[in-house]
Amino acid sequence: MSTVLSPRAVAFNRRKAAAGRAWKMFLQDPAGVFGAVVLVIVSLIAILAPVIADRSMLDVTQQLDQPRYAPPSAEHLLGTDNYGRELWVRMVWGARVSLLVGLAATAMSMIIGTIMGMAAGHFTGFLGGLIMRIIDFFLVLPSLLLAIVLSSVLDRGVWTIVLAIGITSWAGTARVVRAQTLSAESRLYIERARVLGAGHWHIIVKHLFPAVLPLVMANTTLTVGTAIIAESTLAFLGLGDTTQQSWGTILKNAMDVSAATSGYWWYILTPGVAIVIVVLAFTLVGRAFESIANPTLRSR
Amino acid sequence: MSANPPSAEPPVDPHVDDPAVAEPRTAAGEDPTRGPALGAPQDSAPRNGAPQDIASQDIDEPPAGTSFLAYFGRKLGGAAISMLMVILLGFFAFRILPGDPVAKIARERPMTAEQVAALRAEYGLDQPLLVQFWDYLTGIFTGDMGESYVYQQSVSSLIAQYAWPTLLLTGTAAIIAIVLGLWMGQLAAWKRNSLFDKATTGTSLILWSVPTFWLALILLMVFGGTLQWLPTGGMVSPGVEPGTFAYVIDVAEHLILPVITMVAVIYAQYLLVMRASLLEEMSADYLTTARAKGLNEDGVRRKHAVPNALLPTVTLVFMHIGGLIAGAVTVETVFSWPGLGKLTYEAISGPDLPLLQGTFVVFSAAIIVMNLIADLLYRQLDPRVRRA
Amino acid sequence: MQEIVFDDVTIRYSSNTRRGEIAAVRGVSLTVPAGGTLGIAGESGSGKSTLILSLLRLLPSNATLTGTVLVGGRDLGELNFGELRALRWSDASIVFQGALHSLNPVRTVGRQILEALELHVKDGWRTKEERTARMHELLAQVDLSADKAKAYPHELSGGQKQRVMIAMALACEPHVIIADEPTTALDVIVQRQVLQVLQRLVADRGITLLMISHDLSVLAEVCERLAIMKDGEIVEIGDSAVVCADPEEAYTRQLAEAFPTIGDRHSRLNPVTRNPARIAPAAGTGTAGAEASAGAGSGAGAGAEAGTGAEADTGSAAEVGASPGTAAGAGAAEFTMTDEVVLEAKNLNVSFSARGRHVRAVRDVDLALHRGEILAVVGQSGCGKTTLARSLLGLQETDPGSEIRFRGKPLSRRPKDLRAFRKEVQMILQDPSGSLNPKLSVYESVAEGLRVQHFTGDERARVIEALTNTEMTPAEDYLESIPQELSGGQRQRVVIAGALALDPEVLIADEPVASLDASVRGEILSLILELRRRLGLTALVITHDLGLAWNIADTVAVMYEGRIVERGPVEDVLLDPQHEYTRTLLGAVPSFRLDRVSE
Repeated sequence: MSTVLSPRAVAFNRRKAAAGRAWKMFLQDPAGVFGAVVLVIVSLIAILAPVIADRSMLDVTQQLDQPRYAPPSAEHLLGTDNYGRELWVRMVWGARVSLLVGLAATAMSMIIGTIMGMAAGHFTGFLGGLIMRIIDFFLVLPSLLLAIVLSSVLDRGVWTIVLAIGITSWAGTARVVRAQTLSAESRLYIERARVLGAGHWHIIVKHLFPAVLPLVMANTTLTVGTAIIAESTLAFLGLGDTTQQSWGTILKNAMDVSAATSGYWWYILTPGVAIVIVVLAFTLVGRAFESIANPTLRSR
Repeated sequence: MSANPPSAEPPVDPHVDDPAVAEPRTAAGEDPTRGPALGAPQDSAPRNGAPQDIASQDIDEPPAGTSFLAYFGRKLGGAAISMLMVILLGFFAFRILPGDPVAKIARERPMTAEQVAALRAEYGLDQPLLVQFWDYLTGIFTGDMGESYVYQQSVSSLIAQYAWPTLLLTGTAAIIAIVLGLWMGQLAAWKRNSLFDKATTGTSLILWSVPTFWLALILLMVFGGTLQWLPTGGMVSPGVEPGTFAYVIDVAEHLILPVITMVAVIYAQYLLVMRASLLEEMSADYLTTARAKGLNEDGVRRKHAVPNALLPTVTLVFMHIGGLIAGAVTVETVFSWPGLGKLTYEAISGPDLPLLQGTFVVFSAAIIVMNLIADLLYRQLDPRVRRA
Repeated sequence: MQEIVFDDVTIRYSSNTRRGEIAAVRGVSLTVPAGGTLGIAGESGSGKSTLILSLLRLLPSNATLTGTVLVGGRDLGELNFGELRALRWSDASIVFQGALHSLNPVRTVGRQILEALELHVKDGWRTKEERTARMHELLAQVDLSADKAKAYPHELSGGQKQRVMIAMALACEPHVIIADEPTTALDVIVQRQVLQVLQRLVADRGITLLMISHDLSVLAEVCERLAIMKDGEIVEIGDSAVVCADPEEAYTRQLAEAFPTIGDRHSRLNPVTRNPARIAPAAGTGTAGAEASAGAGSGAGAGAEAGTGAEADTGSAAEVGASPGTAAGAGAAEFTMTDEVVLEAKNLNVSFSARGRHVRAVRDVDLALHRGEILAVVGQSGCGKTTLARSLLGLQETDPGSEIRFRGKPLSRRPKDLRAFRKEVQMILQDPSGSLNPKLSVYESVAEGLRVQHFTGDERARVIEALTNTEMTPAEDYLESIPQELSGGQRQRVVIAGALALDPEVLIADEPVASLDASVRGEILSLILELRRRLGLTALVITHDLGLAWNIADTVAVMYEGRIVERGPVEDVLLDPQHEYTRTLLGAVPSFRLDRVSE
């Protein structure tokens, strides 16, 4: 059927077919598709924030004629806050920071986690043992606490939050990646590569990385959700960047004006529901990815 | 042969890329021996018995396991190393990182140069690093973790004072969450795809996506604010005599909302973990053996499937125990529960760095001890680990 | 009275994948009389496991059964669940593959046996004490000491677990025992022990036995009658001896012949193959060689010399103890064993600590591999043969004082030298399914070695040449396939092609056919012979299977507890074994193979 295909084309065809299969399986998971749709919508809102609502609508000094603490109505869609700002405007802009922090922290956590996990799984002896210990340590360490410590010691800012979450949330990924690496490592094809004369680099790049990649991707989506929650928690504890809008910051403001006991329910409900929906969406997509990546989970 | 229906023949499904890898069966830190050789482990069983009368002997008597003491020693060593790392982290995070703590305090409240210098001297920051470290180290082992800036009280006495309420809250929440999560998880797995399964799994996924502090705020708003059923904060109402029955009832009433919040968020994780590991166990061959023996489904589940599925779950449950701490910090903050979590929050808003350092070290130490206990418990639960 | 009756049984699996409904068993009718023994042989996927699971209604819920199954005269389809549970184990019990995961890993085996007794309380074991006593008695019957009751499954060896399974099956005095591959994954010697226990206990109690296996010889050893199952149907059934010795169906013959008879001249250096191109030359190989020095006077093969009439027409004798002139005299086209030593190990010792224990896996081994030789290293699992192979390849650290020489030069441990060395010495690992990365196409798998070795020539041409050499033709059709689209035999060919692409001098094969179906076994073995003949490949074959050595090897080395206890030309060693252990190994080979020679 194919007589003139170059090796590169062979590899490309194979990858294309594999991606097609994965996509088909993903489409069969209604919860995953639902999550994906939600994420697309939220991402669009975040990207288009300047188009949807002008930045000036966030400026406290320009809202003097607006009612404060107005409950949701036709005029004030999601109600207003203590400065008379429209809550929906804050939500739209907050989506940007929340998603950005979530994604950036996750990227950091994934890179550290994948490298550490693969190293712990691949290398034996002292090096492997040492990395293993470090992973174990970060695994049991209460990550929020360390994130609190980091963000209280470092300068306030979005990137401090990203750093604090990224550095403290990679151990779970490293654990999964390590398990997957160990399982791949025990496969005979790794031994065969060694028999063929391959060194560490070839084995890691050619066999181990492709073996852990699907799981890393699934984990990525799951971690974004956790990172968004972590961001809101840090913001709530007063460690966020108060100059930036994020859903966590909005909740912090609500807490500061005792919205819970003063009956400003929309002030608390809206950002929280938004967080729950987005995190749930990431979780559903992540679980769908996970069951594609790991066939033994397919039954669940 | 690829046309095999499930479980018609021994599972030789070559294209299954990776069976059972997400959670290794062994306890954390226990690796399959990858030692010197892949082929080595199965080549290593010592033989006894001369070949002449092979049938009359056990030709392949496997080796005996290692002692409890050796296992305990190894785990204790690991915990000690983790503890050392916490202590190091507690020191360096507050001193080496770019943000000088005193400089940071100075930025957030107006201070004169003298005040800054006095503060530096008070924290010992004007000393050489090695001296500071030595002071810190001896301090930790003698229970002296410095003076709180906000409370003007020694950190250790503060922690001792606030530890019990936290223990009460997290302990109650953890026990309820574990029992509820594991019980519902195994039921959901056993009745896979039933309405019960879909409802519980769906609820868990939603609860898992909820920020703890937000759930706390909502509960506070509904039950404490609108309905006024339960107290909104604190541990005891003012004026209740300690030691009386009314005191116990009062504390219990204050406990309800914080515990519900923590349980809701944590049990969902446990449920999902238990469900996944039981599902993985449900196709195991020994369950077919149990059925063949004439056991009914209930017996198969209770006597065989669940005990095995519990093993990976226990590991994960203890691993997630750090989540309890995170929960404690936010829940105690929202409900003004006078525990270490609230202390942490106050240390953040101070900022009261000696106090923050103290709570960090104490919380982390608690987690490490819990994990050590988990390892020992695991050895009791899983006979396979006893051999490792 | 018929104890077991299958009447026109068809079992279908509904599957929600694209394949729809699959019939695993089709129209099977079988009867086993009370006290009778029947073996069902078939390869993986033949439906034999499905068939026997239906005997206790243990089929998964997506299976539907039509037809009737009677056990002890009772129709299983008509029993309610309570009656069924009462029938399970007390009337009919199953010996699963205990070596695998059929025992609950977190309960002691004693408790698992007790559980069966508690579920079916009968007169002999009404009280707790009586049950415990019975449990110990059962363990004793399978030659296990009473303290094993407290052991967990992982603390037992494969053979011990299998015997626990047998003890458990006997617990409630059933009339019927079903044995599901009871000796798979066990060594020959352990296998023999388990079979003897099973056979003795079944015979003593007059139990009806239904046993399935992929190995005809195992069944023939235990069962009076044999049924051959293929694609869900019974293709042949009859008396064991007749089915084995004189099968009617070609498929049965293929199964029966897959494992050669040691001493049978016809199968010597001539594994069963359906590849017509190879049948003639393989038989002709022998003409170049010297006559076998088979002066066998004792041992297992004593009857073989006298009995076999086949030797004259095949003439497939080995080039045992080849004279120096053999290589030159054989001509350019055909290669045979020479005197030139290619790979050599001297005083080889390997020890390592595994889980805190010090293990001496290989002890004082001296071994020389000659150009064009096929050497078989034979031994049970755990004897150190795999470790030996790994250390010959430099994959395993050896103890100080050990010496490995390739073409007379000591093996260097520098990564660069090792890589160059592995271009010359290649290894084929046990399981072809695991040896190929499931995500890589055949082309990439075969080319992997070339890339690792920085091959500069025409990669594509080399890959095609290697695939052609392993008879994957036309090679172009396979390039894009991924391993899951290939059969087990094809996968093994791809693995061999991957090794051949590097044009190695020596090929080390670790159990090259152990994980393949019997019908493929001969094809792969004859391929190895063919590669030696055409390309002059030198091979070291690691195996637990003496028949394999008889099939393809020039020389054999028997390994026991890390030592090579006996070595020499195949005919000498296998027909006239000197060492006690070799005799034990030979004795453990299921007997019908030997019987056939003497007929």
